[in-house]
Amino acid sequence: MLLTVLNVVVGGLIMGGIYALISMGLSMQYGVARILNVSHGEFIMLGAFFTWALHTAAGINPLLCVAICAPPIFLLGFALHRTIYKRLRDVTRVSGLFEGNAMLVSFGLMFVIKNIALMRWGSSPKGYSFMAYSVEFGGAVFSANRLLVLAFAVCVSAAFYVFLNRSRLGKAIRAASQDAQAAALFGIKINRVMAICFGIGALLAGIAGVLLSMIYQINTAMGMNYTIIAIIVVVLGGLGSIPGSLIGGFALGLIGSVVAYIEPSLQLVAYYVIIMALLLVRPKGILGR
Amino acid sequence: MLKVKGLNVAYGGVQALWDVSIEAGEGEIVALLGANGAGKTTLLNAITGVIPALSGEAEFEGRRIDGMKSAELTEWGIAYLPEGGRLFPDMTIRENLEMGAFPRRMWRERAKRLRDVYAMFPKLREREKQLARTMSGGEQQMLAMGRGMMSNPRLCLFDELSYGLAPIMVDEVFGIVRSLRERGITVLMVEQNAYQTLELADRAYVLENGRVTLGGTSAELLGDDYVRKSYLGL
Ligand SMILES: Nc1ncnc2c1ncn2[C@@H]1O[C@H](COP(=O)(O)OP(=O)(O)OP(=O)(O)O)[C@@H](O)[C@H]1O
Ligand SMILES: [Mg+2]
Repeated sequence: MLLTVLNVVVGGLIMGGIYALISMGLSMQYGVARILNVSHGEFIMLGAFFTWALHTAAGINPLLCVAICAPPIFLLGFALHRTIYKRLRDVTRVSGLFEGNAMLVSFGLMFVIKNIALMRWGSSPKGYSFMAYSVEFGGAVFSANRLLVLAFAVCVSAAFYVFLNRSRLGKAIRAASQDAQAAALFGIKINRVMAICFGIGALLAGIAGVLLSMIYQINTAMGMNYTIIAIIVVVLGGLGSIPGSLIGGFALGLIGSVVAYIEPSLQLVAYYVIIMALLLVRPKGILGR
Repeated sequence: MLKVKGLNVAYGGVQALWDVSIEAGEGEIVALLGANGAGKTTLLNAITGVIPALSGEAEFEGRRIDGMKSAELTEWGIAYLPEGGRLFPDMTIRENLEMGAFPRRMWRERAKRLRDVYAMFPKLREREKQLARTMSGGEQQMLAMGRGMMSNPRLCLFDELSYGLAPIMVDEVFGIVRSLRERGITVLMVEQNAYQTLELADRAYVLENGRVTLGGTSAELLGDDYVRKSYLGL
């Protein structure tokens, strides 16, 4: 019994770590740049496929792929904001209108990225094996790669949290998310901060993709599910709240793990039930105001 | 020395400021009085280039400031406290203060700046870890002033510092403005609270429907029949 609990909890934390990463990413994009990025999951997919390709074709260690994939994925997000979303914001002055239009653009982006990947890699599942041996932990047995993924997700989340709270840029990002106009008065370059936030969002998704490829099979259509989960977590945690996304990510991972233990096919259903219940009780999410 | 010459500003097709010219000498407290919608905030925004002017200019210590970027403005020694404080609600007192020294060169010296500001506002130091949104209205206004002081400005533009404050807090806030004058800082303050403001300021202008209709020393305005009737309710 105790072993089962440990298994379910660790499994939930692993999923939760991934959820936390992708949700913090989405939260950056929505909270600061006001873009509900429906193509978020495609960056997860890109991270996963880059890693798979680098590992199977060139034998590069998947962990090293985090460092290799991070800069180009960040730059891709940054450039997308600079070329598309910033322009969109300049022509749509009304913020409600911008949010709607930006979401439509990100829908388009989702199809573009997904279809390019489909052309390149096809639709069949891909995978590789990495650190697939098992280790014992408190009497329960886990595969090493899953524990590694958990450790990595926790470290990246923590580093990101420290970055937001301690660095000059991190503070500028938080200030901009709380009052963009006032932030601009103090010399914070809002357009640049927004592009950086969009890039960071893509980056966190990309890292999550690298990690996912170590423990699951991947396919070019995998993005959408994660986008939905990230949206659920971001709403759950309070729109734009980074701590909310962190807590919400782990909470949803744990709940998902428990539900999956009882009845695997109910996992996504459970997520929706939770979010509906929560929104009825706390319309602004766990940490929302 | 702040010199504003012939500013005209319009929103869409509607003109909000007409040929506004005002001045503030070094270490002077100059007040800008006017009813709601007179154009006071618009004037401060035009001076700082937050909104572009149709024509006219603003210069401070010989440099044109209306077209400057915010970071340049801060570095040139100008602090603008917008209406309503505009603190960062989910940041701590200390973090809010730090943002006042955001331009890179100041950021490096923010520890020293923080010490100076804490000396001016000891209450802020005691609570530096508290979130801004949990402070009372008066404390928030203190924090907004402290944040403005972080860049060690020579010119402060204040938009309705006393708005929504209890009388005792207004006294405290105005006391701080007075202490700025002692440090040689030039102050241009927008207020609706005419009587107390005129007691504090050296000079004042009256803005009505986007035009400067009166200007003079505070003593002159306090003695002016029109001001007494329309703004002091006497
Ligand atoms: N963004 C805007 N778009 C259109 N009109 C505006 C805008 N901002 C201000 N106005 C108009 O310009 C005029 C002056 O407004 P302003 O905010 O400068 O007044 P104010 O003197 O600061 O008033 P208050 O004491 O209420 O703050 C008003 O008629 C106002 O409706
Ligand atoms: Mg105003």
